[in-house]
Amino acid sequence: MGKDGYRSPQTGGVLDRIAPVVTLIGALLSTAGFVLAFTLAGPVNGATVNGVEVIGGEMVSNQLLFSQKIFYFHMPVAVTSMVMIGFVAYFGIRFLQTRDAAWDERARIAAGIALLFVLATMFTGEMWERFEWGVWWTWEPRLTTYFILMLLVFAYFVMRASFDEPERRATFASVYGIVMFIDVPITFAITRIVPSSVHPTIFRTDSGLSPDMLLPLLLSLFGMLCIAYGLFRLRLRAQELDERVEHIKEQLDEA
Amino acid sequence: MNPILEQIYATILPSAPFVIAAYALVWLALLVYVVFVTVRLKRTEAQVTALEEALAHRQTDETASVLKKD
Repeated sequence: MGKDGYRSPQTGGVLDRIAPVVTLIGALLSTAGFVLAFTLAGPVNGATVNGVEVIGGEMVSNQLLFSQKIFYFHMPVAVTSMVMIGFVAYFGIRFLQTRDAAWDERARIAAGIALLFVLATMFTGEMWERFEWGVWWTWEPRLTTYFILMLLVFAYFVMRASFDEPERRATFASVYGIVMFIDVPITFAITRIVPSSVHPTIFRTDSGLSPDMLLPLLLSLFGMLCIAYGLFRLRLRAQELDERVEHIKEQLDEA
Repeated sequence: MNPILEQIYATILPSAPFVIAAYALVWLALLVYVVFVTVRLKRTEAQVTALEEALAHRQTDETASVLKKD
């Protein structure tokens, strides 16, 4: 602990001890979300058909939209990517406050996991888009802002690679990480700002999600958040082990 | 098939590959990342073992040279 009471973030504490359990919970929750999305959650009705049929004891008069099942993973991975970018900004702020390289290291790892979830969001979104809209890409407001977010995350790593001096790299990366985060609330709110957006607004009191749809969605969401946490701690420990090895090598060379 | 049922299920079979692909790609992305981190961890563990051996050799050599001097 420093004179001003500042304490550098450490690994190996309670946050690391709970990581395997949290990851396991995440895997279980997301699996439960997956199963319930296909069992508990009712099918979403599309266009009206020319009659009525009884299926599973229920009168059905609409097309059953199976592609909507993508939503139960697409939205959770998208939210997780945004949360991780939020952490990139937070770690950036902490670095600028303290100049402790440990915060920059955490920001870089969080950005890597954010990129993983951004790509997962793009994969799932593409599958929906190709089937439902018949195109691989369209410049719809939510897609455009999220695409910009993906480019910003890629650019974060390009920018880091362009600096040799660690202190300068960490400072620029921290500021960039904070600026990058500005796109997150814009992406989140774009369906409200531009009502013509074809993306639905999910987080609202009258979202229309019935409990049977909300449960698998929330299970998947918390599952993905837990998995992201587990990956973050795993990557952090691997990184710190790498650094210790490099440090020992240097000491051996000097001796 | 009953034409009404055919209409009701019209999107299920054609969309199934896309739904399966979406879920598979998410799990694949996560799996690739976990494999990437695990491979790095294994490599680092191997380096730690090599460093420990190097350190042990060095300590043995140093002890031997001290004993010779005495």
